[in-house]
Amino acid sequence: MPYSHSQSLTLLTHAPAQPVKDLAEDILPHLGDIQVLVNRTGLVMLPYTDTATGTRFHLGEVLVSESRVRIEAGAEGYAVCLGRDLEQSMAIALLDAALQAGIRTSLIETFLAEQEQAQLAADDLLLRQVEATRVEMETF
Amino acid sequence: MYVAAKGGEQAIQNAEQFYGLLNGPLTLEAVRLIQERLPYLVDRVMGEGSLYSPELAALALAQTGGDLYEAVLLLRAYRATQPRIAYAQPASADRLLTVRRISASFKDIPGGQILGPSLDYSHRLLRLDVLDAASSDQRSATNQTEERAVNGTGATNGSHQLSAIRYPPEFTPAERPSPPNQPAVADWQRGQGLLPPTEPEQIDPAAIPDVTTDTVMFPAPRAHRLQALARADTGGTLALGYSVMRGYGMIHPTVNELRLGYAEVELTHPVTGAVFSAGRVKVSQCEVISPDHGEQGYMLGFAATLGWNEVKLIAASTLDMDMSAGGENPAHTEEFVMYHTEPVEASGFCIHFKLPHYVTFASGLDNIRKMLGAMGWDQGKTTETAAPAAESESKAEDGEQVEEAVL
Repeated sequence: MPYSHSQSLTLLTHAPAQPVKDLAEDILPHLGDIQVLVNRTGLVMLPYTDTATGTRFHLGEVLVSESRVRIEAGAEGYAVCLGRDLEQSMAIALLDAALQAGIRTSLIETFLAEQEQAQLAADDLLLRQVEATRVEMETF
Repeated sequence: MYVAAKGGEQAIQNAEQFYGLLNGPLTLEAVRLIQERLPYLVDRVMGEGSLYSPELAALALAQTGGDLYEAVLLLRAYRATQPRIAYAQPASADRLLTVRRISASFKDIPGGQILGPSLDYSHRLLRLDVLDAASSDQRSATNQTEERAVNGTGATNGSHQLSAIRYPPEFTPAERPSPPNQPAVADWQRGQGLLPPTEPEQIDPAAIPDVTTDTVMFPAPRAHRLQALARADTGGTLALGYSVMRGYGMIHPTVNELRLGYAEVELTHPVTGAVFSAGRVKVSQCEVISPDHGEQGYMLGFAATLGWNEVKLIAASTLDMDMSAGGENPAHTEEFVMYHTEPVEASGFCIHFKLPHYVTFASGLDNIRKMLGAMGWDQGKTTETAAPAAESESKAEDGEQVEEAVL
């Protein structure tokens, strides 16, 4: 598998919701009976690091949707993504389970490769915009 | 004294609908527009609401007509309905996808000065040309409509100036990207011996002190102080921070580092243990620095928040430094700062005074009248103004204590 589990989940959660849902719809008939273990919205607390003293503290909570499924092959898929779109997290959890069980992996990995390119391109554009604001300060 | 109330249900419903009528229809389009076009306002609501959800923050703003305290209250109330399902891996400055990082203390910081999205060095002039173009465009459209009415033609040859003005103007990105991560300026200073060495605290995120679940005691753990500042009211923080900057404090802050960026929300897969990012959230942080008159060369103040909110962070990090230094001024006192910059509690307590306090007031009035009577004041002169209160007193004496119209 060209992508690690961490990479594939990260690429899927960062991808636009609709293409992920469309892909999950395509994969769905190959997964057999599906057991939904978790499908809810909730909060993830984000700790942060104080650069003055190294203290960890809570910056605030992030609204997320969380899904966990078990497919007929026995694999469990899991996803958390930002926002309250439960269909999105469910789609990612199904794709995660399919990857764990080796179902339609080439199709999913093709999608991951496309997403990787798109996400790298978006970051590259953002960082080139950032670089255009670099300034050299002079004192008189 | 708070009492039950009855009557006026229709008036209350009408008042709410009148409020909505003046704010315009609450639509998905309005929410999307706020989310896309007012990101700094959305960030402020998320930071003070202590809940990262641009969509819900925009909805709260649309629903309240832009009343920030009402919007923050809505977000906090929604947050209270949701379970906390996980703790993310701690985020830190050196791992942020950084889009802005500046220092006012050192110009040649490692990684350089990146202005990022900023109006710092821009002219603060209203773009009246946008309005003029819109007016011109509207006049043009009106003229064309009139021409059609007169000539029966739909031909147009006027230029639409609206489409000619692009604001904000586009710019050309650099050939090469900026590094995604930038080192902390403080680490560079530590390497030069200007600041004492420090290491990130090693602690289970679930064990970090939390003001939303713990009883806050003073002196507060530093984690409580920084969390309280992260969710503090921008205006309140600015007022107290400004007070110490102006002179009710001993410290002149210099911004050591101001940073805007995106933090990954990293979670652990419950089955395989793989760590993955559930997405990125906007965060900002600020350090201020000042000479330490004690043993160390310099001391730092720090603050961070969800979303991008620079003025709050500069004020909050200044307050952090002042609170650490101590002093007699209220803004140097942890308890004073933390209690009085909590937006929901402060605004809630303030606006509760507009709710009926008739019994409380009548009670005081009764005492004043007795006192005036004992002093020989002729109450007959004030019969007209005293009448309504007398009625209220009568009800209270009858044991009804019915003050206002809710049911």
